[in-house]
Amino acid sequence: MQDAWSHLGPLQWIRFVNKQIKVTAGKDEERRGWLVTVDPVSASLVLVDFREDGKMSVDMVMGHAVEEVQVLQEADSETLDRLQNSLILPKTCSLDA
Amino acid sequence: SISMSAASEADPEEQQREQHARTTLRERFLHCLLAMTNKKVQFHMYEKVKVEATFGASDIDMLHFQVSDLHTPIGVQKEALIRCHDVISLTFDA
Amino acid sequence: GSQKSTGAPPIERPGERRVAEMKKLYGQDSAKILAIETAMQLTFDRNCDRKQPKYWPVIPLKL
Repeated sequence: MQDAWSHLGPLQWIRFVNKQIKVTAGKDEERRGWLVTVDPVSASLVLVDFREDGKMSVDMVMGHAVEEVQVLQEADSETLDRLQNSLILPKTCSLDA
Repeated sequence: SISMSAASEADPEEQQREQHARTTLRERFLHCLLAMTNKKVQFHMYEKVKVEATFGASDIDMLHFQVSDLHTPIGVQKEALIRCHDVISLTFDA
Repeated sequence: GSQKSTGAPPIERPGERRVAEMKKLYGQDSAKILAIETAMQLTFDRNCDRKQPKYWPVIPLKL
């Protein structure tokens, strides 16, 4: 599976955006969160997790370390809203295509 | 380094869709990197190494992270350069 | 007399090849991406010049 992720390309990566995913990376690291973006240069993923205190925890998983990506669920409209308004996203960058 | 997919090179419409997707993804990613500036970031690295540092900047090819106040197992290094290839993931609060 | 230049540093102007490359990858919005990238790389280079960071760890964990 290694390298498969890096070779998917933008049209494939963008289909994972706004979905909750589980990423296995390195030997035994596992991260879960809502996918914000994938860097088309390094294939690195950015995941966010909303916490109860209103803050967000952000994970960046390096593309070269990705072993497996698994979709857990789609975002409901409330989650989509929170993702769209998160401070780590540019204001003009909606996902229309 | 990145290249166009074979399909998109043959079909202009497909190429435009791919360019648009790449632009959206890259702009979002660069914005995330900028959002990390001056934040305390945990680096999860190979060989079970975990360190914390204040994020400075990264080069655009994603080869290096420039950080300050890096807490290593043997003390604090004021200014450091971390190789992206040594890193599995990094975490910060936003 | 002193040869010290008093002019401002040259404006960062990306090479033509890079502009063409970016255009091929990002299409009509390539200028926007190029602008963000240029600013980011400038910050990185400037920080490295100013702070002289040393590699950590000294030897790569992964070759």
